[in-house]
Amino acid sequence: MSTNKASRIGEEIWKTRVDKVNAELVTLTYGTIVAQLCQDYNSDYQEVNKQLDKMGYNIGMRLIEDFLAKSGVGRCANFRETADMIAKVGFKIFLNVAPTVTNWTSDNNQFSLIFDDNPLADFVELPDDGRAQDELWFSNILCGVLRGSLEMVQVQIEAHFVSDVLRGDDTTEMRVSLVRYIEDEMPPEEE
Amino acid sequence: MTVYSFYIFDRHAECIYKRRWLPRPTSVGGKPQTQAGLGQTVRAGDDDAKLVFGTVFSLRNMVRKLGGEEDNFVSYTTSQYKLHYYETPTNIKFVMLTDLKSPSMRIALQQIYINLFVEYVVKNPLSPVEHPGGVGVNNELFEGSLEQFVRDQATFR
Repeated sequence: MSTNKASRIGEEIWKTRVDKVNAELVTLTYGTIVAQLCQDYNSDYQEVNKQLDKMGYNIGMRLIEDFLAKSGVGRCANFRETADMIAKVGFKIFLNVAPTVTNWTSDNNQFSLIFDDNPLADFVELPDDGRAQDELWFSNILCGVLRGSLEMVQVQIEAHFVSDVLRGDDTTEMRVSLVRYIEDEMPPEEE
Repeated sequence: MTVYSFYIFDRHAECIYKRRWLPRPTSVGGKPQTQAGLGQTVRAGDDDAKLVFGTVFSLRNMVRKLGGEEDNFVSYTTSQYKLHYYETPTNIKFVMLTDLKSPSMRIALQQIYINLFVEYVVKNPLSPVEHPGGVGVNNELFEGSLEQFVRDQATFR
C-alpha cells in the first residue's frame, strides 16, 4: 500500500467515521495531566516521561481495536507499510495530524516521525527550572500509544522522542525502531 | 437459519466468551447432550471450546501455509453444521456455528467485532484490557446486544 493510498484512507475515515471533540479540550486536558504528574513526582521528569509512556501504552492496547474497527484495514506487509499506516491513518483519525515518515535506516527497521503540528503541545511552555528543557518529553504519551497498539498486532517496537520544538529544537521528531515480530501464542498444554 | 453457538478467543488462545443457543446435532461425540436452552450461557473453559479453538487454529495455519500469509479461511461445512470464522489483526478470533442453510456469516462476525465487542467491551473503561476467564466480556450491554443481533440474523423455530 502506497503512502498516498494510506493518506486517502485516513482522510476518508476522518471525514466520515470519527466523532470530533474540541481540540482545545484535548490540549488542555492533556496539559493538565502532564502538569499534575510533574507535581506528583516533584518534577522528577524522568519519572514523568515513564508514567506518560505507561499511560500511553495502556491507551494503545485498547485504541488499536477502535482503529481496526474504524479503518477495517488488514495486516501490513512490511514495516514501511506499518509506518505509513501509523502516520497517515492512525495519527490522522485520532489527532487529525499526519506526521512525515522519514530517516529510514538501510535495513528498514527504524524511521522517524516528524510532527509539523502537534495538537498536544499547543499553548505549552515547559517549566522554566533549567531542567525541564533537557529532561521532559512533553508528548511522551504518544510513544506509549504506539508501543501498546503495535504490540497488539504482534509488532514489538521501541519509540522515543529525539527532539521537540517545546525544547527549542527545530522539529518535533519521534524515533521508532522495530524490535521483533511477536509469534502467535499457542494454547497451553493439556495437563 | 439457526445459530447453534458462538465463541470468542483472545490472543492468548483463551476462550473469553461462549454462548450456546440450541442443542447441537445429536450425532456429535458420545457424550450426553446438555440441554442448553434458548439463550443459556455456558461457562467458559468447557471442553468443546478447546476443540473448536484447536480446529480453527490448525486450519488457519494450514490455510496460510498453502495460500500465503494473507490467506484466511472463512467457513467450513460438515454434513451437520457450518462453522464461520473471523479473525482480527489483533488475533481475536470469532467463531460461530450455524446450520447448513446459513449464508456466509463473515460480515456478521465482523459486525459483532466492530459494533458490539469494540463498543461495549474494549471501550468500557471498567473492563480490563485482557479478559482471563471472560472478565469484562460478560457484561449486560454486550450480551444483550449480541442476543439481539443473533436474533435479527436468525429466525428461531
